[in-house]
Amino acid sequence: MRTFAAPALLCAFGLVAALAAVLQFSLRAYVPGSLDPGGFTLANFTDLLKPLYARVFIDTVWICFLTAVSTLIVGYPLAYALVRSQNAILKSTLLVIVVTPLFLGEVVRTYSWIIVLGNNGFINSILLHLGIVRQPVQFMFTTFGVVVALVHVTMPVMVIMLAAALSHIDRDYQRAAESLGAGPVRVFLTVTLPLSMPGVVAGVTTAFAWTFSAFATPQLIGGGRVNMISNLVYQLGFASFNFPFAASLCVTGLALTIVVLSMLRLASRRLETIEPH
Amino acid sequence: MNKLADQDARTQGPAADQDGAVRFNAVTKRFGETTALDGVSMSIRQGEFMTLLGPSGCGKTTLLNLAAGFLSPDGGEILIGGERMNDVPTYKREIGMMFQNYALFPHMNVAGNVAYGLKVRGVAKQERDRRVEAVLGLVRLAGFEDRTPRQLSGGQQQRVALARALVINPTVLLLDEPFSALDKNLRASMQVELREIQRKLNVTTIFVTHDQSEALSLSDRLAVMSEGRIRQLGTPQQIYRQPCDRFVASFIGDANVLRGRLEGVEGASAIIAIGPVRVKVPCGPLADVARSAAVDLFVRPEHLALSEATEACATHGTIVAHVYQGGYVDTYIECGEASRDRLLVRSGGHEAMTRWPTGARVGISVTSGEAVAFV
Repeated sequence: MRTFAAPALLCAFGLVAALAAVLQFSLRAYVPGSLDPGGFTLANFTDLLKPLYARVFIDTVWICFLTAVSTLIVGYPLAYALVRSQNAILKSTLLVIVVTPLFLGEVVRTYSWIIVLGNNGFINSILLHLGIVRQPVQFMFTTFGVVVALVHVTMPVMVIMLAAALSHIDRDYQRAAESLGAGPVRVFLTVTLPLSMPGVVAGVTTAFAWTFSAFATPQLIGGGRVNMISNLVYQLGFASFNFPFAASLCVTGLALTIVVLSMLRLASRRLETIEPH
Repeated sequence: MNKLADQDARTQGPAADQDGAVRFNAVTKRFGETTALDGVSMSIRQGEFMTLLGPSGCGKTTLLNLAAGFLSPDGGEILIGGERMNDVPTYKREIGMMFQNYALFPHMNVAGNVAYGLKVRGVAKQERDRRVEAVLGLVRLAGFEDRTPRQLSGGQQQRVALARALVINPTVLLLDEPFSALDKNLRASMQVELREIQRKLNVTTIFVTHDQSEALSLSDRLAVMSEGRIRQLGTPQQIYRQPCDRFVASFIGDANVLRGRLEGVEGASAIIAIGPVRVKVPCGPLADVARSAAVDLFVRPEHLALSEATEACATHGTIVAHVYQGGYVDTYIECGEASRDRLLVRSGGHEAMTRWPTGARVGISVTSGEAVAFV
């Protein structure tokens, strides 16, 4: 234990120091034209309540929510197939597809999505060619486009967490339910899904937290029209050089993440209680 | 017991009586290259307790899974209540199944577990509660409704599993080594209890085990299986007293193998010579064997007796050990002439121990006409 105490303390100290610096900055006044902050003030936080900024917070939570839920819906069948499939080739193909996003750089991945979603992109070309639409469908610079790309980012972690939970469910539970007369849908809803809840909660929580700090994806695909907290921080910090206000955004974002995650945790506790008959 | 079911109506159904409640017709199942079941046929009567017994890998669990519908056969057909089940999914088969690890739903309490099958069938809440209460009373777990599976002992979990399987009045009850996780004392009492409930409800039961004493004590009939085939099907007495081949004779109960010689056939009996002694055995398995051919005589330990070494006996040997078992004594004897392995002689009381100490030379005689012989 002792061997690890020193490096652990060093890391913890570094983290705390950085956070303290940000917190400190968030409480300082902005001096236009200067990189150095002024005196202590709470103005940065009251400014956050202005509709312009509050909107970004709401959008961010909404995008995170959409992303987490969509990833869950797409990821669950993948995780299930990954765990239960008897076909080795299918399994390894799935694993490769699912894990690849982890190894693509954020910019490369996002750029690929621009190629797919753009007005002259892959999807629109096909839709136009088949005559399904006359005008290209606007995917770029929309919440939809951003969520699609973010789902791709969070898919690996979601699938891995769901697969871990699903692989711990003894097959006999499902067989028992079947023997008692439950069809496939019922078995899934009453046995498999409830027993995989720990994985669902872990996956959704992680996807949510991960998306909350997304930057490159909303920046490139949202193109300024879909803004998340990180994009706002970037604009304020590096376009307006308003470091104190950017810091207050960071602090509030962090607080919001913690609040949302603890709410999820609370909800999962309620889910784990015994279902009455 | 009328609370629990219209079980009786089903019992007297004519179709079930004629065809057998469960039938396997030349059922074959392969897993890749290996043949797990090789043309197995069997008919199980309504209300019968049928045991599938055999070493691991003999196909008994595969057969049970085929009956449950977790696997589908590669050949032959499976009938439950006279209806072909090959393409009927598990959830439409009206079976009750008890799993080796009980598989109680951990996210539901006892009542929730037991009520599951009723809920699926759309039984109204009031009726459901009544039947759950009745079946929990039957397995002596009244008042445990609100416990979770984790709060129950192994034996209690097993009772819940049994209640859950029985509450739906299954056509057939399938038991997959349900006692293997219990300690010895609990196992014995649970066995008695299970059998009592099974008789009371008259539910057709298929029971899988590799424990031969369990099979002998519980079954109406049992099927001894090995390598994907049924070696012998019969009542426990038939199997124990008239095993049809070497495998069955040595798998069920303890058996001593003595080297002998076929001397002749007298009607339905064959005469086997062992040393100066002649032993009568059923001639069935020896029908095609030439006179004076070497045969192996299988004798149960309780059908051998010790005597003074000077007497004319089947064989002689040296006592290696006495094992006192309370009600009886197991005596192990080294005996080069007639048997490769040590002989086991089981005698009531402890007279044998006091009369012949370890190392003493004794004579061994066959005391009963229940021996069997195989080439």
